[in-house]
Amino acid sequence: MSELANLLIGLAMGLNLLALGSSRLPSVIRTVAVQGMALGLLPLVLETRFDWLVALVAVITLLVKGVMIPTLLRRAMRTANIDREMQPVIGFVPSLLLGAAGTIAAVAAARALPLLPEHADTLLVPGALALVFTGFVLLVGRVKAISQVCGYLILENGIYLFGMLLIGSTPLLVESGILLDLTVGIFVIGIIVDRIQRAFDSLDTRKLTVLRE
Amino acid sequence: MIEVLEIILRLALWLLVAPLLPGLINKVKAWVAGRRGPPVLQLYYDLARLWKKSVVMSTLASPAFIAGPAVAWVALLGAALLLPLGPLGGAVSFKGDVLLVVYLLAVARFCTTWAAMETGSAFEGMGAAREVSYAVLSEAALITAILSLSVQSGSVTLNDMLAPSSGAGAVLLAGGLFAVLLAENCRVPFDDPNTHLELTMIHEVMVLDHSGPPLAVVLHGAAMKLLLFSVLLSEAVLPLAQWSTWQASTALAGAVTAVTIGVGLVESLLARFAFSRVPLLLTTAFLLCLFALLLAWKGGAA
Amino acid sequence: MTPGPLVLLAALGLVAGILFGPRMPRFWLALTLVATLSGLAAALLVLGGGPEWEWRSAFAVGGEPLHLRLDGLSGLFIVLLSVVGSAGAIYAREYWSDQDHPHSAPRGRLWWSAMILSMIFVLLSSNGLHFLIGWELFAVSSYFLITLDRAQREVRMAGWLYLAASHAGTLCLFGFFVTLAARTGSWELGPMRSQANLAPLIWLALAGFAVKAGLFPVHIWLPSAHANAPSHVSALMSGVAIKMGIYGLVRFTGWLPVPAATGGVIIALGAVSALLGIAFALAQNDLKRLLAYCSVENVGIIAIGIGGALLGAAQGDAPWGRLLLAGSLLHVWNHGLFKALLFFGAGSVLHATGTREMSRLGGLWRSMPWTAAMFALGSAAISGLPPLNGFVSEWLVYLGLLDAALGRSTAAWAAIPAVIIVAVAGALALATFIKAGAVIFLGAPRTKAATQAHESGPLMRGAMLAIGAGCVAIGLAPIIVWPAIARAVGTWDPDWLALEPPVPLTTLGAAQVCLAVLFIGGVVWLWRRAHANGLRRGLTWDCGYSTPTARMQYTGGSFAGLAGGWFAWILQPQRTLRRPRGLFPIRAALVERVPETVLEHVIEPAAAVVMRLSRAARQLQHGRLHFYIVYLAGGLTVLAIIVWLGGIS
Repeated sequence: MSELANLLIGLAMGLNLLALGSSRLPSVIRTVAVQGMALGLLPLVLETRFDWLVALVAVITLLVKGVMIPTLLRRAMRTANIDREMQPVIGFVPSLLLGAAGTIAAVAAARALPLLPEHADTLLVPGALALVFTGFVLLVGRVKAISQVCGYLILENGIYLFGMLLIGSTPLLVESGILLDLTVGIFVIGIIVDRIQRAFDSLDTRKLTVLRE
Repeated sequence: MIEVLEIILRLALWLLVAPLLPGLINKVKAWVAGRRGPPVLQLYYDLARLWKKSVVMSTLASPAFIAGPAVAWVALLGAALLLPLGPLGGAVSFKGDVLLVVYLLAVARFCTTWAAMETGSAFEGMGAAREVSYAVLSEAALITAILSLSVQSGSVTLNDMLAPSSGAGAVLLAGGLFAVLLAENCRVPFDDPNTHLELTMIHEVMVLDHSGPPLAVVLHGAAMKLLLFSVLLSEAVLPLAQWSTWQASTALAGAVTAVTIGVGLVESLLARFAFSRVPLLLTTAFLLCLFALLLAWKGGAA
Repeated sequence: MTPGPLVLLAALGLVAGILFGPRMPRFWLALTLVATLSGLAAALLVLGGGPEWEWRSAFAVGGEPLHLRLDGLSGLFIVLLSVVGSAGAIYAREYWSDQDHPHSAPRGRLWWSAMILSMIFVLLSSNGLHFLIGWELFAVSSYFLITLDRAQREVRMAGWLYLAASHAGTLCLFGFFVTLAARTGSWELGPMRSQANLAPLIWLALAGFAVKAGLFPVHIWLPSAHANAPSHVSALMSGVAIKMGIYGLVRFTGWLPVPAATGGVIIALGAVSALLGIAFALAQNDLKRLLAYCSVENVGIIAIGIGGALLGAAQGDAPWGRLLLAGSLLHVWNHGLFKALLFFGAGSVLHATGTREMSRLGGLWRSMPWTAAMFALGSAAISGLPPLNGFVSEWLVYLGLLDAALGRSTAAWAAIPAVIIVAVAGALALATFIKAGAVIFLGAPRTKAATQAHESGPLMRGAMLAIGAGCVAIGLAPIIVWPAIARAVGTWDPDWLALEPPVPLTTLGAAQVCLAVLFIGGVVWLWRRAHANGLRRGLTWDCGYSTPTARMQYTGGSFAGLAGGWFAWILQPQRTLRRPRGLFPIRAALVERVPETVLEHVIEPAAAVVMRLSRAARQLQHGRLHFYIVYLAGGLTVLAIIVWLGGIS
């Protein structure tokens, strides 16, 4: 049971590095989508007995994270006519190394935390920490709005993974609410990306500083 | 007496099998492209022909231009003798022999690049600069892979390190070592061994000015290096110690063939990367080895 | 035979060298050789298994009786000092001859003897006060040696920087010895691991010795001093003088108790030095600066070994600790040898062409084959290639680190990154020395100066050959030097004395001998085959370009560009580029300079702030007496108010 869960979380942690290391936006989006789907399967794996509600949440998560959000992002990317992160604030090799260091630190830190015995030997907590850290690096280190959205999604995946610790006690409503927020958020960002592109002829978020007055 | 005989047999095996690998790779590439391709034994014919040819040496070059390839070739041969051949083990085995292997590869690199710089050609300078620079990153990956193997097995002797499989990290290690193999042997996507005249070359451009027997030695050395890395990769992943001698030998031979075919497939399906992407790829290889090391660490502690 | 008379002979020889050296160059050389050889003999007597030698004077110097002690550790460093000191003296006779340098050559002999004498004194002295005095004499005499060519402004600047940095270090050492004397109640030095209250003092010692050893980031004095000193002085500085910092570290971590964190801190310092030192070296265009930065790397490797030994000692005398210490001490010897060899080679090049700028050289192997061969040997050795000596010591350090990693203790967290960094630094060192060797000696001469180069004379070549032979000998027969290393390790911690090497050093030596034989055999075989087939000379093919010029060759800057770019964040290279313009461009230029980042971006701005503050303060000191009286009155008033309020508790 926990073997399979660890495999999924390990996969998500590996995808982190892929997201950090690739410069093409489509592959970053795909990476984030696969990561979201892998984590969406997690509730099914973690529950020992089959539960309709959990299954429903899983299916919705899969749909939203694996299909809907990537589609929205791809469309935003197409309208903005941009598919590459050219000059990131933190280069690709440094962000890869940073991500790896963060992952190792997450594993080490999780060992130091006082966890419940059933969570101690799973990758849940280190995985969540690593995902949050990776999302953070992407948010800080990239300049294109779409990469930053991807960073935000990875961050959210990390928080979702933390939520798995409490899977028994989180109401369904909260889960779906988060998902809804996320979808709306991405939808809005898609529109904004389009507007930024029209206004500035670029998606470089550093240029937004001229709006401060 | 029997040891001397064994070493001679082992040498013969390495020397004779090595040129098969580039031939195999070319065959795979031809097959994927739907051509018939050169015969698998092409490199043997080339070597025989080169061995008889006369030598043209640059007016600028010192005697080290010929000494370099010779020393590099002997160094690779020495590394090959230290590397265990599955159940046979290494010809010589002692604590820390793995480091001697790594540094013999460095000797080969030193001599090849030194000989390349002899000619004063800007092309060869470029190749040499790239060779030594990318080696920095692949060395990091290689030493991390070695760390991972030695943490896994609790030993720093090649015979013991390579006997068990690298456990849970085997997949990661295989990926990392395969990338190192491609980089160290200057294959696609790091380098394109087919073009000789481009500014983008690494290994081939370094040996532009060699001819005759020295070129034969260079080509044979390159083939041997490829075989060396394939054997290292196969043994790092396979749990050879669990099998009987015959099983292990067959598995090793099969794995080496599989690696070679893999190289051929990569070469057919991928294009060479832009040079700016090479460090990224090698860093990824390093990280794969690093995570294999962590898994080995955790696996042993439990 | 006891070492006593030999030490006396060495001291007398050196004192006589100071007295007679300036006037009588030949007699000075004989005196120096006798002195260094007797020092060598004395040290070898102890290292070879003889008893330690200890001597206390009946008279007092500066209020303290002289207390000299020759044990394994000081013997180890005296051997290196004697070898490099004598080879450098021979080399200098031709390199810095009286004909070429009528004013500075006599001074050079005087200070050479003085520097060796003061170093021997530091190594032998077992009294804190005398250690400090010797240390100061050593710093001053090396200052005068660095500034032999003081007509040049650059040289004077380098000298000042050295003197300032050295004194900053001495200040820490002053604090260290004084506090030590205050806490123990005596200036006497010796094993005192049992007194736990001395442990924090090691940080002061570390700061002081690290400056001398040139560990990053307090290496700032090292590049300019090594580059601007005459080459035989650079060899002595880099080969031996910076090792005095290492000696201090090893000595006092052995004698004093150390806090638990020391080992980790020294490993971290060593790892940073190893990686960044060699990155800076790779980016240099000045041959001697390149060699100087490379010393930072090697000192880093040595420091990793010492830190690892401390970790091993802290973890119940783990066997890998002694392996690391042994590797690190052997690396002291090895680095001393090949760095001296490389500086001698650099000196030959400088002597023959008059420039240290690598991009103005090229093709020198033709005019100076001996120097080229020796430089190539040194390059291979310093890159840690078998079958030479650099590999043996790096192998020991690697094995110690790997064993520490296998131990799965907390030390592994330091050992694993250290292994990776040492490997990366090794690969970078190879790139650095391919660049140096190839740009200087291979290809075609780039300038007229390089075309007109000439081989150096028999004395300079002899010195290089002798040191090169040492490199080969340690590489082929490491087992011969093991007893000496074991003795020194046993001095550091008596429990660690192991006359049998804990690793298969004999097998390694045999493998190295086999390799050497096979290398030579392979070369001969291919050489004969090539000649049997017929060998012609032709123009470099260069993809068919038929009129190449020497300036089209790959330069050092372009060679290092790729890997140097990965370290641009710390190297901060400054480029001024003038592109060719117009239809008939006449001039184009690219000048690239790699600054000493720590000095120019950290210390100089900080010093500028201090200067600004002091300039502001100096406005108060204007020389007008009546205002000074006002100051006096003001000061008195302030004092009076303080007293009135009850004083400062």
